Amino acid sequence: MSGPRRALGWLVAAPALAFLLAFLALPLVRVLREGGVSVGVWADPYFRERLAFTLAQALGTSALAVTIGTPLAYLLSRYAVPGKATFLRALLLPFVTPTLVAALGLLALLGPHGLLGVDLSDTPGLIVLGNLFFNLPVMIRLAYAAFARVPANALNAARTLGASGARAAWTVAAPLALPGILAGATLVFLYSALSFGLPLVLGGERYATLEVEIYTLTAYELRLSEAGALVGGQLLITLLATGAYLWLARTSGAVQATRALPRARRGTAALLYTLLALVAFICFAPLLAVTFGSVRGTDGLTGAFWAGLIAPDADPPLTLLLGNTLRFAGLTLLGALTVGGTHALGAWLARSRTLDLLSLLPLMVSPISLAVGYLLLYPTLRAELPLLIAAYTLLAAPLVTRSLLPALRAVPPRLTEAARTLGSSPLRAWGTVTLPLVLPALRGGGALALATVLGEFAATLVLTRPEWATLSTAMYERLGRPGAQNLGEACALATLLMLLALAAFTALDGGKGEIT
Amino acid sequence: MRNILVSVALMAGAAQAATLTVITHDSFDVDKKLVAAFEARTGSKVRFIKGGDAGELLNKLILTRGAPLADVVYGLDNSLLPRARSAGLLEAYKSPALAKVPAQFRLDDAGLLNTVDYGYVALNYDKAYFEQNKLALPKSLEDLAKPEYARLTVVESPATSSTGLAFLLSTVNHLGQDRAMQWWREARANGLRVTRGWSDAYYKDFSRNGGKYPIVLSYASSPAAEVAYSEKPLTASPTANLLLPGSTFLQLEGVGVLKGTKQRALARQFVDFMLSGGVQADFPTRMWVYPAVSGVKLADVWKYAQKPDVTPVKANLLQNPQALVDAWVTQVLRAR
Repeated sequence: MSGPRRALGWLVAAPALAFLLAFLALPLVRVLREGGVSVGVWADPYFRERLAFTLAQALGTSALAVTIGTPLAYLLSRYAVPGKATFLRALLLPFVTPTLVAALGLLALLGPHGLLGVDLSDTPGLIVLGNLFFNLPVMIRLAYAAFARVPANALNAARTLGASGARAAWTVAAPLALPGILAGATLVFLYSALSFGLPLVLGGERYATLEVEIYTLTAYELRLSEAGALVGGQLLITLLATGAYLWLARTSGAVQATRALPRARRGTAALLYTLLALVAFICFAPLLAVTFGSVRGTDGLTGAFWAGLIAPDADPPLTLLLGNTLRFAGLTLLGALTVGGTHALGAWLARSRTLDLLSLLPLMVSPISLAVGYLLLYPTLRAELPLLIAAYTLLAAPLVTRSLLPALRAVPPRLTEAARTLGSSPLRAWGTVTLPLVLPALRGGGALALATVLGEFAATLVLTRPEWATLSTAMYERLGRPGAQNLGEACALATLLMLLALAAFTALDGGKGEIT
Repeated sequence: MRNILVSVALMAGAAQAATLTVITHDSFDVDKKLVAAFEARTGSKVRFIKGGDAGELLNKLILTRGAPLADVVYGLDNSLLPRARSAGLLEAYKSPALAKVPAQFRLDDAGLLNTVDYGYVALNYDKAYFEQNKLALPKSLEDLAKPEYARLTVVESPATSSTGLAFLLSTVNHLGQDRAMQWWREARANGLRVTRGWSDAYYKDFSRNGGKYPIVLSYASSPAAEVAYSEKPLTASPTANLLLPGSTFLQLEGVGVLKGTKQRALARQFVDFMLSGGVQADFPTRMWVYPAVSGVKLADVWKYAQKPDVTPVKANLLQNPQALVDAWVTQVLRAR
């Protein structure tokens, strides 16, 4: 039974693996072959310092994200909170926010003339806050999903036996939710270890990560062999982290039906709302600052920036920007669901840790190096749309796999067996039993994937064409020119991007508020 | 001769319009109507691709020279031309229109790049800051390293930004390499901020846009652009140029034919097109640069810009700017 199932799993995952080979492994090998690997670069104290900073900020962000995110996720999963679904959905907004906008937002709050009167610029504080802005949502959503899978009766039993709420959470819920929490922490670590945009913009040259150095060496200095050595080191770190995570996260609980939740009281309520306020501040205040920037003129409120966007002579017209953004995001979503979905299905069927690990590869390698690989490897595809979509798909597919795989593993085998016993064909059992159970996870993963693409801008990845302008490229274009009008219009475009993202999540989510 | 080439191209295009691929830096922008007229006239289809900023664009071209990305490149400048030349990327073609480009703006004698436009990299300052703080303007680069001007200036990194490289070339030209590196170290110790790219410096750190540095490395045309892109009509620019000796650089941007093109005739026509009256008149208020061809009328708002008196950078400095950047990275950036 298990032999054929394993073979079937690998067969199902085969197209996804072929995709990884073509758009990840081969390009990377091609770049390393082009430049070679100059390991000597690691002897330079400068690069060792960069490595130390990369690790420190990634570990620090993970630790903070777990400290803030886990208790909040637990409380959200146990207590009724008005507007919870909206809150969880809105948590995806930082994800779509282009880095420069996030940086502008953070500086508007905590910069030299910040609205809050505290100046954190040029300190690691602002970078940590920025890191949390991008990563806290990932942590909360994954931990929330993990806690939602903890059986309520296990917790009730602990309470009946006299355990306090906190003790039950710590001794019963936390161990059961550990895989999800670790998954969140690992993703936060991976994202932070590979973080590029934020240290690029906020860190100056003092707080550069390895990925920033890889970008500089590759795109500006054309020292591919030194970049190759950094890519190798970075890959090793992320492989070790991911291996550890997969080894730790071997078990997973079953999905629980939604029940009526009690309201939090006294101390619990105070903690819950304090944490909510803290997270809302970190994740939403910079966005509000940017939105405010789209209507704040030199003296008071103004509609000039929005009017500039929709002006009939705007070039490119807003309709083109919106159309492209939606088209690229839609195509990528399709690609990510296909690649990420079949990969998860294959890994689940084959019960293969290797397949599981392979699905994380796109998160581990440097997109900058891949872009160079595409240039060298696919001369005829270089300025074609399929390559752009493939690159987006590569970045987005792991998010679908990460959401879907735990849900698949959590489907009780007895349910499908029962369906089979009652005469269902394997396909029918899958369609009527398994699929409905994992659909919320698939939708959640799709929303995350969509979010990644909406905020992404392709210029650094592959060659772009002017007719492909999207909301985010138009925004960067405005930020490339001086003048209040350009800055204001960039803020307006960023606001539009956020609204679009929110609308897309609501649509994907089917309005049921069920987000994992 | 040209007419014959055109008619040959037209005959070839009768079956299928020839496609000309033009690669540019990200800031490129031209009136679509002008391009459509070029297409109609030559029976071709022009496809633009964007390759990052000028430095990234050059590296992409060098990496892919075996299978050229395009037929024509626009956007390489005088600081990047030496590397393009030694990589053998370009094929010589001197446009007849170069006759109308003054000699001091021509990029090279061989015609690897034909100058389309020029501009001045220059320091700008926030007028309001200096008025409110009753601070006298600095008069030299050396002043920027003095305590009274501590933590007032933000510039782009020569390693990652074309304006940064231009500024480095200018300081080395003015002070000599050793003293320039010394100056950079002193200025950094005095709180000179170095950012990666122009938009970081201008929108994040420049005091006019919410940062705390009232002096920023930008272009001499930026004060005019501030007026043009103001949210409401202005009669004076809120920023002005700070033309310290050794801080300004004349940047010449050009267009050239890429070696390996299969559309040589069309590519040459496109080079001519970029130097034609229509494009030259369209460029200035789109890209905030001066047209290379003399006699083109500029929009009124250009009166807020300034043409600084720039000492041309010594030719030997432009031979290998990358070596200078490497020296800067090790002696300034990574020195502790």
